[in-house]
Amino acid sequence: MQNNKIQPDWWSKSLAGSILGLTLAFALSGCFAWFGPGGITADSKVQFNMWIISPIWMLVLSFCFLFRSGKQAWLVLGCANLIFYSILYLFR
Amino acid sequence: MKVRSDILRVYQSVHIWTGIISGMVLFIGFYAGSLTMFKETINQWITPPSHNLPVASALDYNQLIAKATEQHDKARQGFTLYFEQVQKPPMQWYEQGTDRGLNLDGIVQQASLTDHNELITQQVKPSALADLVDELHRTAGIPGTLGHEGLGEYILGIASVLYFLALVSGVIFLLPTLVKSLFSFRQNKTASRFWLDSHNAVGILSLPFHIVISLTVIVFAFHDQFYHGLEEIVYGEQPMFSRPAPAKIEYSYTNLPQVEDIQAIAKTIAPDYQFSEMAYLNLNTPRATVRLGAYNPNELMRGPVTDYIFIQPYTGTILSSTLNPADEGIWVRLVASFFALHFGSYGGELGRWVYFFLGIMGAFLFYSGNLLWLEKRRNKKTQQQTKNVRWLANATVGICLGSMLAVAVTFVSAKWISLFASQINFAYMWVYYLVFFAAVIGAFIYGAAKSAVWILNLLALACLALPIISLLGIIFPQSGIWPSIHLTTIGLELVALSLAGLFAFLARKTKQRYQSGEQNSIWFNTQAAG
Repeated sequence: MQNNKIQPDWWSKSLAGSILGLTLAFALSGCFAWFGPGGITADSKVQFNMWIISPIWMLVLSFCFLFRSGKQAWLVLGCANLIFYSILYLFR
Repeated sequence: MKVRSDILRVYQSVHIWTGIISGMVLFIGFYAGSLTMFKETINQWITPPSHNLPVASALDYNQLIAKATEQHDKARQGFTLYFEQVQKPPMQWYEQGTDRGLNLDGIVQQASLTDHNELITQQVKPSALADLVDELHRTAGIPGTLGHEGLGEYILGIASVLYFLALVSGVIFLLPTLVKSLFSFRQNKTASRFWLDSHNAVGILSLPFHIVISLTVIVFAFHDQFYHGLEEIVYGEQPMFSRPAPAKIEYSYTNLPQVEDIQAIAKTIAPDYQFSEMAYLNLNTPRATVRLGAYNPNELMRGPVTDYIFIQPYTGTILSSTLNPADEGIWVRLVASFFALHFGSYGGELGRWVYFFLGIMGAFLFYSGNLLWLEKRRNKKTQQQTKNVRWLANATVGICLGSMLAVAVTFVSAKWISLFASQINFAYMWVYYLVFFAAVIGAFIYGAAKSAVWILNLLALACLALPIISLLGIIFPQSGIWPSIHLTTIGLELVALSLAGLFAFLARKTKQRYQSGEQNSIWFNTQAAG
């Protein structure tokens, strides 16, 4: 059971959530910008895309302390980044 | 609801540290934000009656524009029209400075017509008291700039990130006992239990408001960085703002269409709206724009007070608006509603009051959070408390209560200053910072317990002074102090009066604790126990 307990790993998790959370928010906002309603050319949609960055970023940052360890946080968020950046750059 | 204990422990730590770091600047942002809900009222309160020009009974705005632009150079570049607004001239423009952002030494030229259609003008130095409260709200009073944003705005942006973390972690570690403890105010238990219960209840009940505020403040602080990131990562070659560059035509104010014609264009997208003001901007450049403030009491307003419609006056095209009902307007409308959610402008006067109280409750949330931290770390066995505990107690009292006292004293001095000083807005800032730093230094010299009683008593006195100054103005009109005679400004002083009562009550409670409360506490009179 001891192994299942989550480690605090404050610095590692906070940095993962702050940095990878922000890049992930950009990627998700980018996917919405290109593939979401109206597409990339919709008038003034950029403002909305900018606004959705902060809630995505904040949600990732606040729940990244649930990862079992700092290492796991970097790993999972890194993969998520990889996936969404691939989608963004391959299909746009 | 069951949550694993290791998760609870982690989020308890997150809550405590994010709260402690961000609490005090957020306290200032919140109570000052509550005051900005009544920015217009503050403006009316501090505007002397001499700033009111006589207005013709049937004022022709087109004639007013024609005469003013004929005689005044500055009016040819731009001006603002006000329609039937309390204590606002029908027309004004800036001789010095602009109305963008905080303007401490602006000079405004007001213009009106007499009953015989003669132009009358007067120059005034507008009081920026309400704008200074707004500045305090946005920066917590932290001066300096970084790039073209205020340093204080970035600090509040970072504090808001911590604040969001504090909200999420607070809810998580409250989950197991949420239903049981939400409405149980264990008043007959210890005082700290009561603080904890009310901290939790306020936090949970106003949670949606707090989530909205924290997310919007992050955007207000970092929108430049976000846009830059979007440009680099997402948009690339695609233009982000698709609006075409304006044609390079120089326009002249002499070709301005009639006021009614511009309003008629705006009415095509806002048929049920009234127009409260029209700002004519950059009139002799290709970027010439008229910004109409459109108001409809039955609709959600997306600006601080009104919705906005931007029209190019010479070509008659609608450039943009916050209320475009067409399909392509969906993004602007959505974004404008995010602003509205922060400004609390969607619920009319009632909404403003709701936001006022939510802001005050937010300030209470941060203050009580600090008190709970202090209580938890209190050494219950001895009178002497650790350095950390004493330091945070002094800082909490000095900064939070000191900032409120500084605002109250600034309001007390505001009318006197405008009688005697020429640079009134700089004088306001001097008063604020002098009182604020005096309170902070005093808190560190005399300790939190004693200073809290002093500051609260002074706050009560300062609030009480506002209506008394009005009474003095009525009794001694030769003093030059103008009493508040409008319903809204009398309301402001009645609010001050009730705040005086509240602060006096809090001062009494604090004094009781100081004299006969728990002895092993920073809130007890250390000299007496010696």
